[in-house]
Amino acid sequence: MEIPFALVQFAGSLAAILAIAGLTVWLGLGRDARLANDAEARDWASQVAAGFAAETVGIGADGKAALLRDAGGQIMLLKQHGGHFAGRILDESSAAEQSGEMLNVDSGERRFGRVTLQVEASGDWAKAINALKAKNHA
Amino acid sequence: MPDFSPTQYAVPLFVIAILIEMAWSRMRAPESYEPKDTLTSLAFGLGSTVAGGLFGGFALAIFITAYEYRVFDFGPEWWTVWWAWPLCFVIDDLKYYWVHRAGHRIRWMWAAHVNHHSSQHYNLSTALRQTWTGSFTFGLLFALPLVLLGFHPGMIAIAGGFNLIYQFWIHTEAIGRMPRWFEAVMNTPSHHRVHHATNPRYLDRNYAGVFIIWDKMFGTFEAETDEERIRYGIVKQLGSFNLLWSVFHEWIGMIADIIRAPWRHKLSYLFREPGWSHDNSRETSDMIRAKWLGREQAEEPNPVLDKNAIAQSSNPA
Repeated sequence: MEIPFALVQFAGSLAAILAIAGLTVWLGLGRDARLANDAEARDWASQVAAGFAAETVGIGADGKAALLRDAGGQIMLLKQHGGHFAGRILDESSAAEQSGEMLNVDSGERRFGRVTLQVEASGDWAKAINALKAKNHA
Repeated sequence: MPDFSPTQYAVPLFVIAILIEMAWSRMRAPESYEPKDTLTSLAFGLGSTVAGGLFGGFALAIFITAYEYRVFDFGPEWWTVWWAWPLCFVIDDLKYYWVHRAGHRIRWMWAAHVNHHSSQHYNLSTALRQTWTGSFTFGLLFALPLVLLGFHPGMIAIAGGFNLIYQFWIHTEAIGRMPRWFEAVMNTPSHHRVHHATNPRYLDRNYAGVFIIWDKMFGTFEAETDEERIRYGIVKQLGSFNLLWSVFHEWIGMIADIIRAPWRHKLSYLFREPGWSHDNSRETSDMIRAKWLGREQAEEPNPVLDKNAIAQSSNPA
């Protein structure tokens, strides 16, 4: 049986890209980003939404996620994404649930997903996030 | 007609350049690469060649038909007309500028082009992050004037191939600035970093392919400044390395918006700029930049107030 050239080319290319991606691991490239302090969280937040000036910051104990609130009551959820952070301003589709010391935050956007963080005043954050629903339905 | 694809010959060079940049990255900036991001970018590159093979025939058929109606005829051996090659390359680059600008300013086109921008990293693997869905836009219309002028579709394809190869090397942070004369005329890593940035001051700037002069001519040029750290990606970062989501997310979002929108606004979600919404619930790049400019101006020190003690007094005389 003769294998079509295009298929061989595809398989070869796939092997090559897997090898290059493997090489990035072998070389130790990339890093897992962590939030060390409030200033870092604020900096990332201003990157997610230009001009977002956080008044209150809650960083997860492992530094992989954070919640920030600005003077206007907007709440932003930050989550680690490889060597960077990505974030969303939460809205009426978002929800939060306390589970012991942990806070589960559902961004309301399926692909962005849920984020679990151990954060101080988690009850207050949960209340504020769930209030977004009521605020918009009022 | 010569059967020649410059990009196929360039692939080994692409691989070697990526390996060199990875070695540089290991020594100087390990964070500039991210294994999952690299794999996604390279998978984009492979998938785009498959998509091109599957769907590219439609554009070719249109070009071959349009070529029958050309204004100028370079003859049956068009490839022997030497001066037509550089001319085609320059005009094709001008075409690239406009198709690229449309790719950022028309949501339908952006749905296909956003893939190239969705990485938060900026390295040579980002250059290979090419679209799978370009055939489902009207981008091919931008090339029709060249065909109607008399440039053979094969010549345009080869010129476009060299254009793509040129653009590969400018996707890097390893090169700072090129000599001044070069930066003035050519697209460079510095100019293209600006294009990939999400900083408000840089949004929708530097659309050039090879020659940066088009941006200077059409008012979209922005020089890179050392005062501000560049942040790469898209305004609403994906937060996911999922390949299929990366490929189709903007198409899905756009179609959902069209379905939800009132009838009189449906076409606007197709043809207006990304971020536009009929209820002003989102922000376009122009709105983000305007807000940023407003903040900058508000924070700017007032030279009169700074120097005049009387003017600083809050109590009017």
